[in-house]
Amino acid sequence: MKTIRIATRWKRYSIGMLAVLMLLTVVLSGCGKSASEPSAAAASANNGDVTLVIGAYSVAKDALGEILPKFQAYWKQKTGQTVTFQESYEASGTQARAIAGGFEADVAVLSLEGDIDKLVKAGLVNKQWKKEAPDNSMITRSIVVLGTRKGNPLGIHSFQDLTRPGVKVLYPNPKTSGGAQWDINAIYGAGLKASERTEGKKDPAAAKAFLEAVHQNIESLDKSGRASMAAFEYGVGDVIVTYENELLARMAKGAAYDLVVPDDTILIENPAAVVDSYVDKHGTRKVAEAFLQYLYTPEAQEIFAKNGFRPVDQTVFNKHKQQYPTPPGLFDIQYLGGWSEVRSTLYSKRGIWYQVLAGI
Amino acid sequence: MNNTWIRHKGWTWGFRTTVLLYFLILIVLPIAGVYVNSLSDGWSAFVQNIADPIAWKAVLLTLQLALVATVINVAIGTMSAWVLVRYDFPGKSLLNSIVDLPFALPTAVGGLMILVLLGPHSVVGRAASALGLDLVFHQPAIVVAMVFVTFPFVIRAIQPLLEELDTSAEEASYTLGASRALTFFRVILPAMLPGILSGAMLAFSRALAEFGAVVLVAGNIPGRTLTASVYIFGEVESDNEAGAAAVSILLLTLSFLILWLINLVQTRRADT
Repeated sequence: MKTIRIATRWKRYSIGMLAVLMLLTVVLSGCGKSASEPSAAAASANNGDVTLVIGAYSVAKDALGEILPKFQAYWKQKTGQTVTFQESYEASGTQARAIAGGFEADVAVLSLEGDIDKLVKAGLVNKQWKKEAPDNSMITRSIVVLGTRKGNPLGIHSFQDLTRPGVKVLYPNPKTSGGAQWDINAIYGAGLKASERTEGKKDPAAAKAFLEAVHQNIESLDKSGRASMAAFEYGVGDVIVTYENELLARMAKGAAYDLVVPDDTILIENPAAVVDSYVDKHGTRKVAEAFLQYLYTPEAQEIFAKNGFRPVDQTVFNKHKQQYPTPPGLFDIQYLGGWSEVRSTLYSKRGIWYQVLAGI
Repeated sequence: MNNTWIRHKGWTWGFRTTVLLYFLILIVLPIAGVYVNSLSDGWSAFVQNIADPIAWKAVLLTLQLALVATVINVAIGTMSAWVLVRYDFPGKSLLNSIVDLPFALPTAVGGLMILVLLGPHSVVGRAASALGLDLVFHQPAIVVAMVFVTFPFVIRAIQPLLEELDTSAEEASYTLGASRALTFFRVILPAMLPGILSGAMLAFSRALAEFGAVVLVAGNIPGRTLTASVYIFGEVESDNEAGAAAVSILLLTLSFLILWLINLVQTRRADT
């Protein structure tokens, strides 16, 4: 008897819940629609006010946060128009996918060329994007460095030291974090450099073996650079492979780490591009292009430098030379054959990175 | 009667259609989509995706760890349910409502708590590393995360059965001279068993799918600490949707089988 009564009560209750749920769905979907309409209207109105949508990778957040108000003032003074910004910060690969999937960003600021290429592939950015701004449309540089605990207790000085038994290493997974490809490229490239010194030529097999040896010591393969840094902050691991700007930013906030610049490491270049399809749709091409150019001005470059990035502007870079030493064995992506080569040999479906992960 | 319009037949029909549509749009279509997507390249591609060493190792590891978590939950959950039903103590109702907390919390918060409580800087973490054990970013932390998120299932499945259990059966058993142990195994346990089974299976299938807490506390290294759900996430992120879908339908099929088994257990219980 009791069970039957409970069962009927349950039934009534669940029907009520269902009704509430459905009502909620209707209300929520209605809200979503009305919220998105005014912004689209504001972007196309162009009557003195203009909205610029920025889709950026998460690490650029602090620097862009300082640059945007400055550009606002600059544009107001130059044209009398008030620019309002809509900003979105995501991991670089996620951001690229979001933009390709319909997030209508006017300007894309991403961690690596490959992610802009995703937008080119989606037909949103024109193929010549690298010619549209100085320095191949790269707005900042950095290098891959090693972060150790205060005082460098294990005496880590190069990528070779990461292969020593008992050294616990952290880096994010390039499968989930596009930015992590720089880290893996640096280790692989350091292996190539070492083989060049011992054998007289680049030996991909030796470089792969080197990557495998480092991977033996991996403690955590996190989904993003941020997650990797967070794990390091929780006390996991002895060494983190990361970007110089990321580590400098953390140390500026008081984290007690040592920054080790290996002799052989890779030069990171971060691109920005105007998303052609969306600026034409919003009628924001002029301001978007001006914004892209503004990122190269000494003021903007100075802000990047302050946030740990290496400026592309030569005079600004010279001012900060002591802070940003150039290691003797520094190489760029061309040393590994360029991005398309790297993508097909290292990160393709059965590429070197996959083989290292699967242990084959 | 002025409420006859509420009893109108059209309402039943409307409700039934709405519920069916809701079910179809929210559950049947997405799941069918995953199956179709994964098999769109044919069976051989599917088999190839599953035979990928990283993929099957992730699935195997997830099954193993979920099993461990379920065993732990069955033991602790049965005891907790027993205590919550049979004993009276101050703070009992508060404790009873806290049981559901893992359902209400974002699982990432659970992961964060595990990091804070068991991390290298914590008391537990330090003690463990002194003993040469690694907790967070290794398999123990994954099990802890799974136990945390699936904690309520077993308790909530057993509680109503214990409440319904007629004490006269127990009393009769004692009167007839049975020992406490015999009474427990012959009278109480059989009454709880359906709850334990269905709770355990629900907990197991939920543990298989856990992502938010696990991704934070696991090292996510293939073959060592990469679970199936994190593998799926990685494959989606690296544009290998077919690979992600293949492992997804493996998990889906498993969960579906488990839910079907639960249904069987429960209908059998209703029949007797």
